[in-house]
Amino acid sequence: MSLQTDKRDFSERTSEGLGDNFMRSAVSSAQDSLKTRRLSAATDLGDWEQWRSIGQQIRQHTLKNLDYYLEQLADNVEKKGGYVYFAKTKEEASSYIRDIVMQKKAKKIVKSKSMVTEEIEMNRVLMDAGCELIETDLGEYILQIDDWDPPSHIVAPALHKDRSQIQRVFTEKLGYTGDESPENLARHARTVLRQKFLEADVGITGCNFAIANMGAINLVTNEGNGDLTASIPKTHIAVMGMERIVPTLEEMEILDNLLCRSAVGQKLTSYITVMGPSATGETDGPEEFHLVVVDNGRSEILGSEFNEALQCIRCGACLNVCPVYRHIGGHAYGSIYPGPIGAVITPLLGGYGDYKELPFASSLCAACTDVCPVKIPLHEQLILHRQRIVEEKRTSSSERIQMKTAGRLLSSQTLFGKALRFANPASRLLSRHGRIIKGPGLVRGWINARDLSQPVKQQDSFRTWLDRRKGGANQ
Amino acid sequence: MTVYGKESFLNTIAAKLGRERVYDVQRPDLRPLIPNSYGSLTNDDLIEILKEQCYFIHTQLIESNSEILQTTLNDLIHANGGGAVITSGDDRFLHYGLSFPNSFVWEEAAGREENLLRSEAANTAIVFADYALAESGTIVIESRPDQGRSLHFLPTNYIAIIEKERLVLRSTQAAADLNRRVEAGEPVGSAINFISGPSNSADIEMQLVVGVHGPLRATYVLI
Amino acid sequence: MKVSIFSTCLVDLMTPNVGIAMVEVLERLGCEIDYPAAQVCCGQPTYNSGYLEDSKLAMKNMMLAFENSDYVVGPSGSCIAMFHEYPKIFKGDPHWELKALALKDKSYEFTQFIVKVLGVTDVGAKLKGNATYHRSCHMTRLLGEKESPYQLLGKVKGLQLEPLKNSDNCCGFGGTFSVKMPEISEQMVDEKCGCVVDTGADILISADMGCLLNIGGRLSRKGEPVKIMHIAEVLNHHHATAAAKGGRET
Repeated sequence: MSLQTDKRDFSERTSEGLGDNFMRSAVSSAQDSLKTRRLSAATDLGDWEQWRSIGQQIRQHTLKNLDYYLEQLADNVEKKGGYVYFAKTKEEASSYIRDIVMQKKAKKIVKSKSMVTEEIEMNRVLMDAGCELIETDLGEYILQIDDWDPPSHIVAPALHKDRSQIQRVFTEKLGYTGDESPENLARHARTVLRQKFLEADVGITGCNFAIANMGAINLVTNEGNGDLTASIPKTHIAVMGMERIVPTLEEMEILDNLLCRSAVGQKLTSYITVMGPSATGETDGPEEFHLVVVDNGRSEILGSEFNEALQCIRCGACLNVCPVYRHIGGHAYGSIYPGPIGAVITPLLGGYGDYKELPFASSLCAACTDVCPVKIPLHEQLILHRQRIVEEKRTSSSERIQMKTAGRLLSSQTLFGKALRFANPASRLLSRHGRIIKGPGLVRGWINARDLSQPVKQQDSFRTWLDRRKGGANQ
Repeated sequence: MTVYGKESFLNTIAAKLGRERVYDVQRPDLRPLIPNSYGSLTNDDLIEILKEQCYFIHTQLIESNSEILQTTLNDLIHANGGGAVITSGDDRFLHYGLSFPNSFVWEEAAGREENLLRSEAANTAIVFADYALAESGTIVIESRPDQGRSLHFLPTNYIAIIEKERLVLRSTQAAADLNRRVEAGEPVGSAINFISGPSNSADIEMQLVVGVHGPLRATYVLI
Repeated sequence: MKVSIFSTCLVDLMTPNVGIAMVEVLERLGCEIDYPAAQVCCGQPTYNSGYLEDSKLAMKNMMLAFENSDYVVGPSGSCIAMFHEYPKIFKGDPHWELKALALKDKSYEFTQFIVKVLGVTDVGAKLKGNATYHRSCHMTRLLGEKESPYQLLGKVKGLQLEPLKNSDNCCGFGGTFSVKMPEISEQMVDEKCGCVVDTGADILISADMGCLLNIGGRLSRKGEPVKIMHIAEVLNHHHATAAAKGGRET
């Protein structure tokens, strides 16, 4: 998989999402239950707003001094006997990983969930090199055996599938003979994957946060697959987006609390692990540890007007409250990063060419901004994208003309007054029984689904009423 | 070469930030900002908080004491269906006079393959917590030559013994203490685990399944 | 107290009764009303569509229109929230930044003004009926005004307020969003209508005309007999006649 998960155009993807009733009911019930759980986990922490602002400070401090902390991280990994590779592009990152795998003559790879490895198309590169690569996160594994169906949520990748679809895939691909209960499906996956862990030559994980002063990475999971991936194989390759770093365990602890509570409403997930190269005398864990630090477009965001997007800790809370995501689902975004944060970072990483609709797929209700545990002003960033898209003249010329006209009209009482006077007579041609029934571009979109009464007559307008009153006339 | 591509990568970052590289940065002290929503708590308060949280994380909490600890553990092993036991090589097993039939100890001398095989074959793992966090129902434990990483994940059932005096309120305290050790240059295990109950997943229809890749069941024994 | 009315372009164009109700309520509360005639629109339609430069014209016009006002009060949390964004938009502009700050500091949404500035929660309104309240996203999240409408509605005699499920979900209006992405917007407003109908309320109240036209227009299209009322109309209702009379179809 790459950043782009679907090459069809936005409206096609959206119609598909809107037509998928199972997905929509799965997403809305997930949103509703996660909303409650998140709220109670946030309330339990006490003074959530204060925690959010601490989270924001940590992220901003780290980004502001990113070169310093990355250098400290690299030095400490090196001291512990690990390797660090700084990859500017996705090609550099995935070929380095392929080279390590080749060097180890590794055939079997287990992997725990990582968005950045999707971004760098690592799976494809490794499979092209002849490796067996197994996603071990249950959700990701389900998607993999279903012929690499793309993820639709950054925390719950298989949210769009129901149990009977999963049972069918398990039966077809794994010879599963059990029923469709999630418990039995999960047990079956456990058995299959346990063997994969034990046989694997290389384990590949993402990284929730790297800890600079320790030369270690932090993984946050519930299943324990990340830990098995980093414990059993003799080689562990961890891949991180360059911004995913904290100074020490103290900052990690704060961000992990924000992450777990925001993502799934847990105080802490079952397994939060800090890990690096194995120490002397320890018999498991990796004999060889590689950390791949990926830029792949992030440095272009750093220091730009979109800098705050790099504060993201990938909790998915903005997806869980987004009313647009609720109806169109993750696949409609056509990116491995869906939802509000996806609409902000996907165009930054993938360009406006493929993604210029995403920033407009929002009612700017700001639920995302409100919920973000590190205070990314997501809806403001969407407006900023819109401004850049308009500046680059990527909107239709008819829209540009309409907006220019609107800009004039809405800034001059003389013009607006004239428009008001003519609005009612003009709308008469388009109306029946006081309701507008047809109209040009903007109006059509509205009246297709909603009734709209005619604008008021000049003599009934608010301004006329005020004038009449001033003149002492009876109302 | 063990670090590759660092200089130009970091120079790009500094340039994008509009400045020269920086080599001396003080991280802000956030501790005074952290809200304390609990006030001061006694050890008994912490135990109550832990008990309540264990319910939410599907973890059995058993109160025991050093005299009956062996019996408590025997009962638990039995309740897990017997089978092989693997323990860490923690001194506290000796200190409390604990021993189990049909059991193995994770030990450096056994080597990687053997330790992994023993853990995979074990029905129950027993370990001692380094810290326990009341608020989140978490035990904190480090890897050591006598306590591998996989020990916590491969066996089917997991028992952690928590000595009451190791109970702190939340992860803040454990992280601060661990970081103090890091900054003092003291050796720290290559893996530090914060474990809160059994493994679980909600990847299928958001329905919670307890027991996925790691242990199916977790029990804390408080002494 | 001198209060300048900001009527908003939607009220000007579509719903004069809301403006009239607002003026009457404020006058009853002892305010001296004026209406700076140069005002038009806060600029949000073009601003939220990404047309920054085209929007600045409208914004500058508003800053000038209300330059001499003590208080600016409008019947829309969303439009007032837009005023509150001006200082960010004109940051660093030597001429306009201070004017933007001045406008922000004196601008209040109608219910916010009554509760927070006038210190009144009971305006003496009476309205018999079963209602539910839609909290608009911009008013609650951008302007940060959550409680005032509930406080005021709680004191309206005869009014029974039903809780609205998923009240924090957007109704799908979003200004130009509703016409730019009509299919998505339609699904959002449909879900909102479902929640409104489920309350069993006869009246849907909100403090934002945009949301009300959206939800009301959809309810009407679906043939649902729920009336919509702007909160100013509710608070101006001081004779306990049947609810339906105070309402208005879109």
